Amino acid sequence: MGEIIAELSHINKSFPGVKALDDVSFELKAGEVMTLLGENGAGKSTLVKIISGVYTRDSGTMKLFGKEVEDLTPLKAQELGVAIIHQELNLCPHLSVAENIFLGREKRNGIILNSKAMNEEAKKTLESLNIELDPEMTVADLAVSKQQMVEIAKALSIHAKILIMDEPTSSLTSNEIEELFNIIRKLRSQGCGIIYISHRLEELQHIADRVTIMRDGKYITSGNFKDFTMDEIIQNMVGREIKEKFPRVECAVGKKIFEVRNLNAGRMVRDINIELHEGEIVGIAGLMGAGRTETTRAIFGVDPKESGEIYLNGKKVEISCPEDAIKAGIVLAPEDRKKDGLCTKLSIRENISLPNLDIISNKIGVINRKQENEMVEKARKNLSIKMPNGEINADSLSGGNQQKVVVAKWLARNSKVVIFDEPTRGIDVAAKVEIYNLMNELKKSGIGVMFVSSEMPEILGISDRIIVMCDGRITGQLNPKETSQAEILEHATMFEDKLKNSKTA
Amino acid sequence: MKKVLASLLAGVMVLSLAACGGSGSGSTTAAAAGTTAAATKAAAAATTAAAAAATTKAAAAATTAAAASSGQKYKIFLISMDQMDQHWVNMDKGCQKAVQELGNVDYKWTAPDVKDDAKQIECINNAVAGGANAILLAANGPDADVAALKDAQSAGVTIVYVDSPANLPAVGTFATDNKAAGKTAGEQLLKALQAAGTNEGKIGIINTNAATTSTVDRESGFRSAFDGSKFTILETQYCEGDAAKAKDIATNYISQGCVGIFGTNEGSTVGTGNAIKEDGSGKVIGVGFDKSDTILGLVKDGSLLCTMAQNPDVMGYDGIKAAVDALTGKNKGDGKTVDTGVTVLDKSKVQ
Amino acid sequence: MEKKTQASPFKRMMAIRGMGQVITAAIGLIILMIAFSILNSSFFGGRNIGNLLRQIAPTLITGIGQSFVLITGNIDLSIGSVVGMSCMLSATMMTKGVDPLAAVIITLICGLAVGIINGELVARFKLPPFIATLGTMTIARGIAQIANNNYNTDSIGEGAGATAFRNFFYYAKILGLYNTIWIAAVIWLVFNFILSRTRTGRHVYAIGSNIDAAKLSGVNIVSTTTFVYLVSAFCSTVVGMIICATSGMGTMDAGNSYEMYAVAASVIGGVSTLGGQGILLGTVMGAAIWGVLQNGLQFAGAPVAIRNIVIGIIVVLSVLMDVILRGRKPHYQPEKADNGPSGEKAK
Repeated sequence: MGEIIAELSHINKSFPGVKALDDVSFELKAGEVMTLLGENGAGKSTLVKIISGVYTRDSGTMKLFGKEVEDLTPLKAQELGVAIIHQELNLCPHLSVAENIFLGREKRNGIILNSKAMNEEAKKTLESLNIELDPEMTVADLAVSKQQMVEIAKALSIHAKILIMDEPTSSLTSNEIEELFNIIRKLRSQGCGIIYISHRLEELQHIADRVTIMRDGKYITSGNFKDFTMDEIIQNMVGREIKEKFPRVECAVGKKIFEVRNLNAGRMVRDINIELHEGEIVGIAGLMGAGRTETTRAIFGVDPKESGEIYLNGKKVEISCPEDAIKAGIVLAPEDRKKDGLCTKLSIRENISLPNLDIISNKIGVINRKQENEMVEKARKNLSIKMPNGEINADSLSGGNQQKVVVAKWLARNSKVVIFDEPTRGIDVAAKVEIYNLMNELKKSGIGVMFVSSEMPEILGISDRIIVMCDGRITGQLNPKETSQAEILEHATMFEDKLKNSKTA
Repeated sequence: MKKVLASLLAGVMVLSLAACGGSGSGSTTAAAAGTTAAATKAAAAATTAAAAAATTKAAAAATTAAAASSGQKYKIFLISMDQMDQHWVNMDKGCQKAVQELGNVDYKWTAPDVKDDAKQIECINNAVAGGANAILLAANGPDADVAALKDAQSAGVTIVYVDSPANLPAVGTFATDNKAAGKTAGEQLLKALQAAGTNEGKIGIINTNAATTSTVDRESGFRSAFDGSKFTILETQYCEGDAAKAKDIATNYISQGCVGIFGTNEGSTVGTGNAIKEDGSGKVIGVGFDKSDTILGLVKDGSLLCTMAQNPDVMGYDGIKAAVDALTGKNKGDGKTVDTGVTVLDKSKVQ
Repeated sequence: MEKKTQASPFKRMMAIRGMGQVITAAIGLIILMIAFSILNSSFFGGRNIGNLLRQIAPTLITGIGQSFVLITGNIDLSIGSVVGMSCMLSATMMTKGVDPLAAVIITLICGLAVGIINGELVARFKLPPFIATLGTMTIARGIAQIANNNYNTDSIGEGAGATAFRNFFYYAKILGLYNTIWIAAVIWLVFNFILSRTRTGRHVYAIGSNIDAAKLSGVNIVSTTTFVYLVSAFCSTVVGMIICATSGMGTMDAGNSYEMYAVAASVIGGVSTLGGQGILLGTVMGAAIWGVLQNGLQFAGAPVAIRNIVIGIIVVLSVLMDVILRGRKPHYQPEKADNGPSGEKAK
């Protein structure tokens, strides 16, 4: 471990409505692997994007290699020797491997590209990663794991002194992870500082030197990785007092109204089985990328599925498109309210009536305005939607009220099962309570309620039963009255420990 | 309210007419002032008689009445197909000549920016709303404008057709008899070919498009000139008035072995001439339609045998005269077509 | 993967990205030419081939400009109007006595100005390219109309300068081929070189492939996008002068719809309207097929209605093939970089 090569103090960064980083300090030394831990929304990605020049900090100081840095751009950061491998792959699919590696800093003879030299050097870099790959292959033709290796090769070819890796192993096989860790060790011995972000706590034991933990945009603690137990780490990641109150309603649990069996839809939805009873709310917990949204979409018929049966009140229903689901009475309030849940440029009235036009129009399709207005009025009263009138655009409502409109349109047609995906994301505390009340009302009236959430207090506070997913599979069913956030997180990070299994595979 | 408005409008119009006519003739101003009272009374009478009448109708009636009673200005609009072709420019010149001679016409030339049925209908409606007494119209097509023209006529506007008529009876039509002109062109070509010793072979026609009556008539007239001859006329190609495209088509005709080519309007003729000029073998003879600076040049240097020059100025001149005659009641017109003829412009006629 | 030693030249050629569609188009072209020469023996006569090449040139040149823009994932609708503007400006100047060389230079400057405007609107102000170039399309056409006070121009005459202009752009031959096709060939050589062998060319593909990745890798989006629109404007301006030389006068309607023919030529040749792929050799094939269709159908004596339908079907089929074959998503979908902490999504 050497001198400090990255030093950030009192960093603040806000986005509209969210304070992403709140007085955060961070430090990286040469020749070490620093792992950055925290839940979703803790601020990890934001922090490293500031270090790599993608974002600009609002306030605070940043020193790289001992020198203060002001306006950093991705290009300047590259030149200083900072390389970042983003969580989302940033490759040009139509270009070759070598072309992607050298994008923006192509080698030339005068003005002519020196493809030969670039191909050769790309080959060398790939070989040092022990990857068998033809540098002239088009990226689009590669498997995702190979593409991730190309990203890594690109970062390495910059000969960076600070290397940031944001979830680099999510698509890699165990052999590849082994190779990657060898590279990381080699770089470390050469004096590089590596910031490693990952949720895979078991993997980190093999590679991390130090750890920094963040929570809710704040710096919590840091230290040598060996000095922490797993429990301590998890405790630091999630431990916060539950500020919000959760209006819990006790209901008698009745018969089974909804069942999903053997649902398979790609890598993110594997062998899912779910049951819903009258009078209960089921919460689905897990980390981003666990496959929860994909599961709800597969149930609702948005994404195609490979296998799976859905039963409503004991009867099988065929769902191959959202229309089928809606007709059967299964509805979804999607994750991205503005993009998928509402037509933001249309009025509230038009939004509420949109999936219900068949109810309020006559045989030739003419809409009955009176019925439409009655529908809107009923929704407004039942859900206490705060709106001056039904004609204003949906996007002028507050988040909480928007969410109510999303639900209102389904309630207008007497749905049987309502699935919520992140129902209170971006909604303030008071409005959250109203949404919880709404969910309770649905539960009381015998409608099956299922919701996906990344906020553990919410899961614990409102669900009657918790299902935990990890990497496309259900890893646990927990009783909210007996479990804890730590136990949920444990199940949420139960990846197949690839390194442990690689010896036996 | 409508009464007051009508009177006000009538008064304003008479005054403005007076102002226009006032430049250079004091007598007219005096006469105008003198008849203002009469005009306003007439306007009031007109509107009382027709309570729901459009203001414009009353104004038009008022001005006509005013004009009739004092020999004042008639408002005449020339509406052509567009304002770009030199053809219409010359027609406008002819109109202006007549207006100059007559002295009692307030003349305006208007047209859409491109040849377009809907836009031409708008022009007609605007002219009527603008108080036209008569409209000289070069109709885009025989049927498109009929409805608008019917409205115009019932609003009291006199219609005269120039260059291309519509399917609605009017004062009369002053146009080129396109069929006859086309036949003349064909006869010229046939004569020249036979004089050169060629009695059979392929002939190519370059037309604008299949929708414009005038050019379609020219083509059929041209084809009739070759009835009974040993020449074969190939499938007509269309250039949409694009001179460069016409040149390509003509060049292809020459490659196919055509001995004669006919262009039905300005763009086609320019292309034909350029292609024959480039060919340079002297074995191909071309005839065309319309005259423009470029076409005259091509006739002069021998690339084109001759071109049928229409007389748009005659159309405009005669059209204005006929319109005024109808308005003054001297001659209501018999709805017939007057052939304004074509001049065969060959080398001898072009300096 | 075994190391490649000396792959045969044929294999190396086939390995070039984009060659697949070029070969398909070439085969289509050959079939068309054989069909037309069967229908009419004079189709393959020496005269017609020379003329045919010259008739293909304008579509090829505008096609090259449009291809450049398409590869970045944008489109240029102003091509036809710039052709008209260039035709009218150069003709008007020459009829008013301006020296042809000066007229050419001034017209070039005006055309390039349109290119810069397009580039700025799309890249810097982030207007959708359809809207931005629709605007410049209308403006350029308007300029074409007022250039000579809303009339077509007189003949540019037979003076020494005018004749040199006509010969240079259209009538003269070098080594048996018309100048026009030589101009097209030179333009193709230069721009193909830029596209395939220089850094700027590489960046053109990158932007069309994944603009976010390109930006994060330090590619200058604004200057590269402006560059492609400049290329397109340059090509359109040259074609405008060719049209002027062809007719010997300026027509306000010149170039009408040329941008669509340019898209057709590009797409038939394998340039995708979705961006990121296609090579200029394909545009050559596309323009050739287009020209052969126009020329051949005339020689075959096909009535106009049939002609339009045939050409229309071929264009629709090409675009359909484009979307089906090349719109197929690559194995992964490049994620859009999100803003804010809630954007930490891993799909």
